[in-house]
Amino acid sequence: MAFAMRVKVPPNSANLQEARHRTFDFFRAACRSIPSIMDIYNLYDVVNPSELRSTIAAQIRKNAHITNPKVIDMLLFKGMEELSNITEHAKQRHHIIGQYVVGNKGLVQDVDTKDEGLSPFLKNFYNSNY
Amino acid sequence: MGLGSLASRALRSSSSSRVLSTNPRYNLIRTIVSTPELHKPEAATEAASEPDLPKRTPIAGARVHFPNPDDVIEVFVDGYPVKIPKGMTVLQACSVAGVDIPRFCYHDRLSIAGNCRMCLVEVEKSPKPVASCAMPALPGMKIKTDTPIAKKAREGVMEFLLMNHPLDCPICDQGGECDLQDQSMAFGSDRGRFTETKRSVVDKNLGPLVKTVMTRCIQCTRCVRFASEIAGVQDLGMLGRGSGEEIGTYVEKLMTSELSGNVIDICPVGALTSKPFAFKARNWELKGTETIDVTDAVGSNIRIDSRGPEVMRIVPRLNEDINEEWISDKTRFCYDGLKRQRLSDPMIRGADGHFKPVSWRDALAVVAEVLHQVKPEEIVGVAGKLSDAESMMSLKDFLNRMGSNNIWCEGNGKYLDADLRSGYLMNTSISGLEKADCFLLVGTQPRVEAVMVNARIRKTVRATKAKVGYIGPPTDFNYDHDHLGTTPETLAAILDGNHPFSAALSTAKNPAIIIGAGIFDRQDTAAILSLLNSLSAKFKNLITPEWNGLNVLLLNAAQAAALDLGLIPESDSGMESAKFVYLMGADDTNLDDLPKDAFVVYQGHHGDKGVYRANVIFPSTVFSEKEGTYENTEGCVQQTVPAVPTVGDAREDWKIIRALSEVCGVRLPYDSISGVRSRIKNVAPNLLRVDEREAAVFSGLLKPEGSGKVSAVPFGVTVENFYMTDAITRASKIMAQCSALLAKK
Ligand code: SF4
Ligand code: FES
Repeated sequence: MAFAMRVKVPPNSANLQEARHRTFDFFRAACRSIPSIMDIYNLYDVVNPSELRSTIAAQIRKNAHITNPKVIDMLLFKGMEELSNITEHAKQRHHIIGQYVVGNKGLVQDVDTKDEGLSPFLKNFYNSNY
Repeated sequence: MGLGSLASRALRSSSSSRVLSTNPRYNLIRTIVSTPELHKPEAATEAASEPDLPKRTPIAGARVHFPNPDDVIEVFVDGYPVKIPKGMTVLQACSVAGVDIPRFCYHDRLSIAGNCRMCLVEVEKSPKPVASCAMPALPGMKIKTDTPIAKKAREGVMEFLLMNHPLDCPICDQGGECDLQDQSMAFGSDRGRFTETKRSVVDKNLGPLVKTVMTRCIQCTRCVRFASEIAGVQDLGMLGRGSGEEIGTYVEKLMTSELSGNVIDICPVGALTSKPFAFKARNWELKGTETIDVTDAVGSNIRIDSRGPEVMRIVPRLNEDINEEWISDKTRFCYDGLKRQRLSDPMIRGADGHFKPVSWRDALAVVAEVLHQVKPEEIVGVAGKLSDAESMMSLKDFLNRMGSNNIWCEGNGKYLDADLRSGYLMNTSISGLEKADCFLLVGTQPRVEAVMVNARIRKTVRATKAKVGYIGPPTDFNYDHDHLGTTPETLAAILDGNHPFSAALSTAKNPAIIIGAGIFDRQDTAAILSLLNSLSAKFKNLITPEWNGLNVLLLNAAQAAALDLGLIPESDSGMESAKFVYLMGADDTNLDDLPKDAFVVYQGHHGDKGVYRANVIFPSTVFSEKEGTYENTEGCVQQTVPAVPTVGDAREDWKIIRALSEVCGVRLPYDSISGVRSRIKNVAPNLLRVDEREAAVFSGLLKPEGSGKVSAVPFGVTVENFYMTDAITRASKIMAQCSALLAKK
């Protein structure tokens, strides 16, 4: 119930300036909660705060090309919800590690040089049939 | 059958009339529309004299040929005039006029029984409604299909049929594709008046393929007519009279026909359903993929019904030139073999003789290393019976680049010459066999080798009493035939003219000789072929400009395409001196001569015979998972369409060879299936003309006369067990049950 009470949809940003400003606010809020996140999920041995900060920045930069204030508001809303889920401890440690520490490249990263010089066909062949 | 659409049309027409009368807005629009006729009264009267009929299109593309212009008659269906040839029934006339008449017992390819009465229509000046399927159309007949009398008659028939039909649609496998269900929706009454108990009938055991729930039977006798007319077995029949009437095998007996699965399709209700499919899925949750069958060389058109990654059933597709609307039991029920015994990972045989799963990278590297250590002439490639043209093309290209030209396709033997297409195709074409009036079957048992070809021959023999002569070991036929002999010498006797069959052959108008592909494995293949050649020189009616009666009946789906692509061994001593053998799905190749130290790569989809000797296994895909080109025995090129995803780590055949070629350093120049096809275009352009039959240009076998003497060795039996001929069918449990119960001992 507690979260539901707090979910309040702010009025839309009037222009891009305002949306931009809100984005910075959100980033700051996220950065401020990093120490407590490290604490809650006991992340000290896998990541340090600056890495988490750059992950957050990367997530925001991914949408840097968007100029529609409405869309930015929507994305901000989603971001805020995610942030509150994290700080409420609505997630578990492996969620955080999976999404923000390891990233979508997966745990085992094949950084071998043996694939160099192979044709795209063969690389794809080793990956899957399609 | 299109009855679903018929039902919806009936519903639609009634609802639209309701809209017309009750919707005032619609009427309003009608009054606003300005029609010029209304302004000019004389034009209006003119228009009124012509019946205002919607344009109609014949049902299911029904077409009429008029063999003789005098035989054309005109009838009126719902006031719409149609021209039809004499002798057509009222029902056929209606379908030409675009009116689908509801029916249960009538079937285009079976004789007319006229016992269900569902097809009643009104004919002017006849006192009662007539059964349109059994009534010949007469000139000037005025047929009315949509009158209250016809509707009432149908409703009455439906009520009688449903009286004794169990209400078990929710647990019936036919539910959703049931003619009775559809037609009771469209024509039935909304309530029954029957309060007695329903009758029930004991279920019959027809074997491992057909499940019976005889209480559901509506006694249309389609199955009985199918069995005796098309399948040619007298196993099914009607017992008893009146309400005691039952369909059954007269004695406690299984239905032993290689076409028995088709009764599942023709039964309009759920009385005969598929036993392996029973309670497995409902038909509306299946995805249909229109593809072709590869278990024999006929290439029957099929639809694979799948749910998710699993093939649930296989049903026939209409193709008048190949399989009409039937398929063999092997085609229909082999599908459970697609999910058993599958190879899913690349494997290498370790020092202890056991296979270890490895990655593709390692498996390819091992094979490439071995390949570089053997001499080019010690490399041999064999394509299996189920290979598609694309993979055979890449195998040939790859081994050629490695310096070897010892590549062949299973079943094509060592002595065959692939220079002339007419020398290995069914030149008459499968549908063309219907024009033949005299058959000579040489060393072939079509009933087990190519069921659909046999069904054509039976159809012809039934229709025209064509004579059939047979040379080969004693075997089963489902039509009248003369067993002329067992050795090629009988053929020589026919050629000399001192055999009674020579007379039959020479007086026939369109004689057809069919040679089984089993002779390709004989020592005297060339001699037999040259004998046939002299036969065609002697009997001038065998090959004329309009008729080519010399046929080869191939056994496997891959054979024709392999010969078109030139997969012919270079030297006779293929296996004895081989050090490296590439088996591409080849399971029936004799590896006894192979030296002990030879390295064998098996690329295939099933852990079948080829795997026992293999050192490395590359898992590949089956026909239901890939897009591949196949050419059937008459030279018609067709493609399979992937219906389900591949299993495990398997890859498509041509891709494996393409990848291996790159690891070996002789990279093949194509990266996509269209790339392989453009390569095929240079070798055999006919393989790209899909769904077309490319006839051989040169007729005749054009072989040097008398190359060797025919031996006195009798012709052998080519297919020992109809139900198990390849890796897929050998892995199938249903096929194993069939061979245990039904195969002729
Ligand atoms: S079993 Fe089916 S096909 Fe045979 S008579 Fe009964 S309803 Fe007709
Ligand atoms: S279809 Fe005419 S009587 Fe059955």
